[in-house]
Amino acid sequence: MSALPTDLIGLEPAIGRSPVRRAAGRLLADRWAMLGLAIVLLFFVIALGVWAGLWGGNWMASAGQRWEGPSTRHWLGTTILGQDILERVLFSTRTAFEIGLIVALASSMLGALFGALSGYFAGTLIDSAVLWLTGVLDAIPFYLFVAALAFALKGNPWAMHIAMVATFWTTTARLVRGEVIKLKELEFVEAARAIGLHPLTIIHRHILPNTFHILLVQATIVFVAAIKSEVILSFLGLGVQDGVSWGLMIAESTTEVTAGHYMNFVAASSFLFVLVMGFNLFADGLQDALDPKRSGR
Amino acid sequence: MDLLTYTLRKLIGGIPLILGVTLISFVLMVHFGPDKTYELLSKNPTAEEIAQVRSQLGYDQPFWVRYGNYLGQLASFDFGYSDSTGERVASILSRTVPISLALLAPGFVLGNLLGIVLGLVAAWHRGRWIDKAIMGFAVVGMSISFLVVIIAFQIVFGVWLGWFPVRGWNVHDFSSYLHYVTVPTLASVFVALGYNTRFFRAVLVEEMGRDHVRTARAYGAGPVTILYRNVLRNALIPIITRIMFSIPLVVISGSLLIESYFGIPGVGKATFDAITSGDQPILKSVVGLTAVLFVLILIVNDILYRAVDPRVSLK
Repeated sequence: MSALPTDLIGLEPAIGRSPVRRAAGRLLADRWAMLGLAIVLLFFVIALGVWAGLWGGNWMASAGQRWEGPSTRHWLGTTILGQDILERVLFSTRTAFEIGLIVALASSMLGALFGALSGYFAGTLIDSAVLWLTGVLDAIPFYLFVAALAFALKGNPWAMHIAMVATFWTTTARLVRGEVIKLKELEFVEAARAIGLHPLTIIHRHILPNTFHILLVQATIVFVAAIKSEVILSFLGLGVQDGVSWGLMIAESTTEVTAGHYMNFVAASSFLFVLVMGFNLFADGLQDALDPKRSGR
Repeated sequence: MDLLTYTLRKLIGGIPLILGVTLISFVLMVHFGPDKTYELLSKNPTAEEIAQVRSQLGYDQPFWVRYGNYLGQLASFDFGYSDSTGERVASILSRTVPISLALLAPGFVLGNLLGIVLGLVAAWHRGRWIDKAIMGFAVVGMSISFLVVIIAFQIVFGVWLGWFPVRGWNVHDFSSYLHYVTVPTLASVFVALGYNTRFFRAVLVEEMGRDHVRTARAYGAGPVTILYRNVLRNALIPIITRIMFSIPLVVISGSLLIESYFGIPGVGKATFDAITSGDQPILKSVVGLTAVLFVLILIVNDILYRAVDPRVSLK
């Protein structure tokens, strides 16, 4: 008699676990994804510390001589202007998170909205219009478009963000559209239609929540793309306007490396590399964990 | 004949796309681009001089007339003269485009070929250490910024080893070509390889999991036969799509960065200079021709599908 309840307790998770829980379980078991997540969280803590004013606030001041080597006062040495490289690298972490989060959020929202509309009304004028717009934006080479837009909105600190969102949302929209076309044929959507719900209500309440896994994976990919593009745009003089970023540090280091001073270059590119790497590992694990084709556990 | 009508129909179908690309870029140029009037004038210009320069640049015409003129230029492939140097746009393009192609082609071909080879090796040994090692390198390669790779390769090959020039493009024969093209090629292969390998591996793994491949293996067909006849041929469609669609991106975006960093006078550098100086005729030509190239690639892509897979019909 006493064996029965324990058996039931043992069985319960296997039956009652939701897809989200199963995905989380798979993700937690993925060592590389967890390493990636740990890296991302570490950088996020650094960024939070900059926001809170704990460190990185002194990035602009000339705190020492030019090109000092690493020392206890300046852990990573100083730049050509005698600025502390560690402070600058830490402050740039905040810049990177600001850009990545804003661009990832905005392009996910735009992509979800347009992708859902175009998928739900597939074959209608709305769908054609969205497909035309995404096709057009994809036909313009990325750096040309970003450079043109960033230059057009020059002086506007948001120019780079706007340019990135304008190009990155199309991939999200295309993926969401494909998923919505599949979803809208399922019974629960048909039922919602049958009881007379407004199409926008159906999209908002019943369809979009089911595309969340796509949006999540795509947001991590866009985050990485945004950070990497920032570096190149800042180097071209079209990126971060005020403050400091890894791209600006690498740009200013190009004159230093020819003179044999590598600290600025090494510091900025290592921080960039480690964060992007962490995000890539996490995005890979997330993609595997959320893949509906994977069964078990 | 069938092919010809198909191509023509597709070209007409590509018109909305070309209109969209040109319209968006034209709005950006006209409404936000820099005004060149005062750069071309002497000091203390009179009102007539200002008006003359503005009409010479076409600034006095209404928007739709100017956009219409642009479309006419695109249809006749005649974009007039550069605002900055007065050189014919056609001659600028015929000077810079071959340089960019010569600069990018080796890296593009090598990056894709190596990507396919590494993807094949990884997919064949799926789950074993060699697969994990290749995929590990791919993630590392994907995580390094193009800019960092360029600077690091310049330091290593140009400054430390001193084997290759760091800047410029002084090409007059094949050995000087190799001399200047090596470092940019290494950099672009390095950057593309991570993404390419992952993509090709994913495609090939999917193909290798199919029943007919398992059957062929069970019958004892050798790896080369299986890979060539059963796997690669079926995987060709996604591979072709990826390679074809990366062409316009590589030509413009890739050359823009490499050329502005290495100081090479190709079309990417010319475009970037045109953006910063507001040289509208050059920008109009590059954007318009890229859109046309994109539509052409869409068509060639479909025709290649047909050549690779007879089941695909050109409708």
